[in-house]
This record gives sequence, structure tokens and C-alpha cells, in this order.
Amino acid sequence: MNLKKIIPVIILLFAGLFSYSQQEVANITDPRLQINLPDVKGDSIALESLKGKVVLLDFWASWCMPCRAANKKLVKLYDKYKSQGFEIYSVSVDDDKKDWVKAIEKDKILWLQVNDPRNWGAQSAVNWNISVLPTTFLINKKGDVVVIDPSEKKLESAIKELLQE
Amino acid sequence: MKKVLWVITLIFVVAISHAQFTKATLQATGLTCAMCSNAINKSLQKVSFIQSVRSDIKNSAFSIVFKEGQKVEIDELKKAVEDAGFSVGSLKLAGNFHEIKIENDKHVEIGKDVFHFLNVSDQVLNGEQTITVVDKNFLTAKQFKKFSSATKMACIQTGKAASCCVKDGVAADARVYHVTI
Repeated sequence: MNLKKIIPVIILLFAGLFSYSQQEVANITDPRLQINLPDVKGDSIALESLKGKVVLLDFWASWCMPCRAANKKLVKLYDKYKSQGFEIYSVSVDDDKKDWVKAIEKDKILWLQVNDPRNWGAQSAVNWNISVLPTTFLINKKGDVVVIDPSEKKLESAIKELLQE
Repeated sequence: MKKVLWVITLIFVVAISHAQFTKATLQATGLTCAMCSNAINKSLQKVSFIQSVRSDIKNSAFSIVFKEGQKVEIDELKKAVEDAGFSVGSLKLAGNFHEIKIENDKHVEIGKDVFHFLNVSDQVLNGEQTITVVDKNFLTAKQFKKFSSATKMACIQTGKAASCCVKDGVAADARVYHVTI
């Protein structure tokens, strides 16, 4: 077998491998990962509609104290980057809508907020395989999940980087 | 004849004194927010005699419903919580009791388990009742200390009958659950 014959095979193999690994990245346009839930006013917001922005998908609940602490930090971050194309899409699994609304007011949250009641039974939390609150996913402009649960420091540097893409 | 029938009925009633646990309320504790983790929920759902588990956020507790007619292994509930990386902060068991005579600091056999009642007044339990498990690692260390001083019997420390309790007709290696009302 000569080399010329082998090269295309190798290229093909690599291409296959490459496309396979690309499929492994979670994307918000994947039907299994779609979230379309009502905000405080009752208007549905689809996660998919945010494609083209750098998005932080955040699962939380009003009764989850670590989530509330994280909200405080997100308020500052959101204020700093929202004008550059950064958005936060928070899914609360609060069973009681009143608790959720109260928490939004108290934490001075201005970003997108939707509610998926039933606590751990929430379908979106099941679909995204959430096992602990809060869980965050940083999503690039193409809709790919690029970082899961970034630390505070990593989150800001990653947002800056992704906004440049 | 009437008298004999009456006696037979009475014997029968006494003989079928029993209890069946139907549900439980379990609080978990740990270094992190217990309700913020789905691990306990998932772990409890795998327990064979559990029908359903619901997170009761307002009370930071898990509401557990047991399968009808199945024996509830109390230690397995603790194991499930510990397997999830947490500890039990409180466990209350509710069930239907029928003619269960209890005395303070005494052992009583209910079903196949031996229960040791602490801080209770002598009484007969009937109907729906809730008991709280006060064994070591079923409540906070501080609360356990309080209950462990309520008896002189060594079984409170080990959960095993051992020599001190055998006189009550309990096997030495029998698991003794310490409970209160």
C-alpha cells in the first residue's frame, strides 16, 4: 500500500473524529435542552432565542442560600457586561411563585428570570441533569456550553473572552 | 360460653397489637445546604420500601411515603442519607398503631423490631402516632447527649441490646431503636 492512498484515509478519520467530538458539546438549540418558560409577567422566554449572545444559564431557588449569595455577585457582573452582549437566563425551581418574585426584588435582579416550579421535579432541571443548586452554564454566541460552574474569577475572564469571539 | 368467646376475642386483640409505619419526615444536615443537593432525594428514592420522596422546602425536610405493607428498615434511611454525603438531623416516623403498650425507659417489640422509649409517659398507643428516632446519628450530637442521659442502659450508645437489656427478653445482638414521642 502506498502512502498516497493512506493519507486520504487518515484525513477522513480525523475529520470523522472532529465532527464526532463537536457533537458532544451541549448546544441550546438541541431539542432535549430547550427551555421555554414564563417570566414574572407570564411571558414565555425561550433560552434558544438568546443565541448570538454570551449567556449564563443559572439554575437556582429562593430558598437556596448559596444561590442568593451568588446573585449578589451576578448583579455587578450583569451591570458591567450587559451592554456588550452578555445575558443571564435564570431558571428558578421555586414551587411558590411568591417566594421567587420576592427574591428577585430583594436581590435587585434585572436579568431574565423564568420559573419552573416543583423544586427538584422541575423538568428543565431534570433535562439539564442538575444535581445541586446553584448550577451555572456559560454559553458562547454559537449556543455551545463552554464552561460549567465557573468560579467567580473564571466567569468574568471567560465572559470577556467570549464577547470578543 | 359468652365469657369464653369474650376471652378469646380479647386474646386475639392483644395478640394482634401491631404498628405499621406509613410515612416519615426526615431532615438532613451537612456542611453544605442539604436541600440544595438532589443527592439525598435520589438516594432515598432508591430505597426498596420507599414509595415517594418530596422535598418540603419550607421545613427543610424530605417527606417520605412508605410502600404499603412493607417493613420499614429505619437504619436503611440513615444509610441512604449518609451515602449521599449528609447526615440525619431528625427523623420522625408516622404510622398506625394498635394496642402498643409502652413504658418509659423500657423495651417493647413492635413488629420485628425492638424499640426503647425515652422521655415518655406510660401509655397505650392507638391510631396514628408519630415517633422520633433519638439514636446516635439520627439527630444532632447535642440532642443525642440530652436523650442519652435519659437512660442508664448501654444500648443507647450502640443501638444493640447487649447484656444489659437481655433480661427484657431481647436477644443480645438485636438492634434496639431508641425513640421518643
